[in-house]
This record gives sequence, C-alpha cells and structure tokens, in this order.
Amino acid sequence: MSTSKVTSDLLRGNTDTMILRLLTEADRYGYEIVKLIAERSQGEYELKEATMYSSVRRLEADGDITWYWGDESQGGRRKYFKITEKGRATYAHNKTTWEYAKRVLDTLL
Amino acid sequence: MTDKLSQYLEGVFAPYEGTRSVSELKADLLADLQERYRELRAEGKDEATAFELTVDSIGDIEETVQEVTNLSRTLERQVVTRFDASALEGSDFAGVSAREGRFGASALRGSDFSNADLAGSKFKSSDMKDINFDGANLTDAVLTTAELKGSTFRRARLVRTDFSMSGLYEVRFEDAALTDVAFRQTDLRRTVFARCTFTGVDFTQSDLRGLSFEQETFTGVKFDQAALEGVSLRGAILRDCSFRGGWTKKYYKALRTVNFDGARMDKLTYAALKGFGFTPANVIVE
Repeated sequence: MSTSKVTSDLLRGNTDTMILRLLTEADRYGYEIVKLIAERSQGEYELKEATMYSSVRRLEADGDITWYWGDESQGGRRKYFKITEKGRATYAHNKTTWEYAKRVLDTLL
Repeated sequence: MTDKLSQYLEGVFAPYEGTRSVSELKADLLADLQERYRELRAEGKDEATAFELTVDSIGDIEETVQEVTNLSRTLERQVVTRFDASALEGSDFAGVSAREGRFGASALRGSDFSNADLAGSKFKSSDMKDINFDGANLTDAVLTTAELKGSTFRRARLVRTDFSMSGLYEVRFEDAALTDVAFRQTDLRRTVFARCTFTGVDFTQSDLRGLSFEQETFTGVKFDQAALEGVSLRGAILRDCSFRGGWTKKYYKALRTVNFDGARMDKLTYAALKGFGFTPANVIVE
C-alpha cells in the first residue's frame, strides 16, 4: 500500500535528495518543486509544502543550495533555489548510498 | 480569496511571529499557495474546494516553523544572559519615578519597585523574578518576553501594559483594574488574578488552562484562540467578550469545558458562544 507509514517515512527520508535531484536539472522555486514531485511520481507521493521547506532550510544551512530572487510573477517575487557545488557532491553521494541500500535490501527482503 | 489564504497563514503563524526567518517562510509559503490556488481554480474547482485543497497541501507546518524558530529564539535568549551579571539585582527602586525608563534585557531579580512611577518604561526580555510592583504605575509599560516568576502586582496601575510572551509563573495580580492590558501568547496557567477587573484585556492565544476567574468582571475582553480547558468563570460578569477560535476545532471543544455557572453575560457574548453551537448552562443573560 503506497500510503503506509513505512512507505511515507521512507519517501520523506529522501526528500533532501529528491530536491537536490530537481535542482541539478534547473533552478526552481518552491511550488515548482512540490508540483514536479507530484507529477513525476504520478501522484504517488505528495510532498507537503511544510516538509519541502524544512528540507530546503536544512539544505541551505548545510550549504547544499542557495537562493536568489527571480523576476516578478503574478504572486509577487519568486524565490529560486540553486544547487551549489557542494550540493552536487551531496546528491551524488546520496544517490550512491541509495543504490547500495537498495541492493542490500533486495537481498534481504 | 487570496486574502483568505493570507488570513489563514496569519492565523497559523501568529504564535511564531517576530523572527525574520519565520516571516520569510510565511512569504514563501503564501506565494506557493496562491499559485496552487489559481491553478486549482483554473482546473474548474470551486472556491471552497480549491481553498481546502490548497490549505491541505501545507502539511504539518508547526513542526517546520518550530525548526526554523528554535535557532532564532536561542539567539535571542543568549542576549539576555549576557546581562545576568548586572548590578541591579535586589535593588531598591521603591517610590522612584522612572518614566520611559529603559530596563531592557536587565537582571532585576528581587528588586523593589513598589509605588514607583514606571509609566512607559521598557522591561523587554529582562530577568524580573520576585519583583515587588505593588502600587506601581505601569501605564504603557512594556514587559514582553520577560521572566517575571513570583513577582507581585497588587493594586498596580495597569493601563495598556504589555505582558505578552512573558513568564508569569506564580505572578500575583490582586485588587487591580486591568485596562487594555495585553497577555498575548502568554502562559498564564499558574498566574493568580484576585479581585481584578478586566477591561479590553487581550488574552489572544494565551494558555489559560485551569485558571480561576470566579466572580471577576470582564468587559470587551478577547479570549480568541486561547487554551481554555477547565477555566472557571463561575459567577463572573462578561460584557462584549469575544471567543473566536479561528480554524481550530480544538478551541470549541475546550470552550465546552469552561465553567460558566452563575455567570452573568450580555446578549452579545451569549450569542457569540451560542454561535459555536455551545449553550452555556446556568448563566444569566442580561
């Protein structure tokens, strides 16, 4: 069941990496991140705004991302998030760790 | 409708106001929610559904805000600690006139301010445990985010005095007329109010659980979004008081645990309570 506690914890635990992944492709703003995650998971995972901003603040504090003001839009100025070199390294590392965990879990489950 | 989203966020964020990081978070969130709301409307959802879906997409914001604020709050407290060694502890200010005095972030523990004229003075973020403010004039004084544990305010003149977010553990207000005094977001569970009158007092978002306000008089007092479990208003007189809970069902549930036995209230207050589907028993409506 896609809504079970285990599944959602597992997904949420990888929020930082999901966001980093999206930012390796392009600079993005908050709502765009949430929307892309819903789209790419075909609605299987809905990242809440609160979870996304916790993650973004944490990534910012760790120096994995920075932000800048984009152009004016309908809803006022938009804050764009940008991945740093350190962030790219973090993403690569997390991705490798996940591949490894997945291999191990596959042998055990 | 965008205003409604904005209002909703005001409500959610109100308890955490005052830190820059939180204001930023609120602004970021509002921009996102507005965009989501517009998209949902464009997809043909009606206003109410779009609003509900938008608000639902926020998730557990309290946890996020807590994470964001904790750091800033800790920083604020450190500023106060640095003044701990100040020589003002246990000082005698009895009867002095210190209008517009600046006592911000001071250590004044155990001082005597009885009958002092402290109109307009600022005591923000100070350590003011066990202070005697009996008979003092605290008109327009600011005592926000201060530690006032064990202090007394007997017969004090309290007009537009601001106690918001201060520590009021075992603080005693006795024989005092509180006029337009603010206790916003304040923990008052162990505060004592004896023989006081409350006019225009603001208890918005305060924690009043288990507090006894028996026989006291309230005029134009705000109890909006306050924690009211087990509050006793037995025999109290309520005029034009407001009990608004915003979006929280919890508030209305707590309201049912308030003891209004023998309380007298005007039709407005009574109607406000009834409006929430709550009919207080044994009250006298005048």
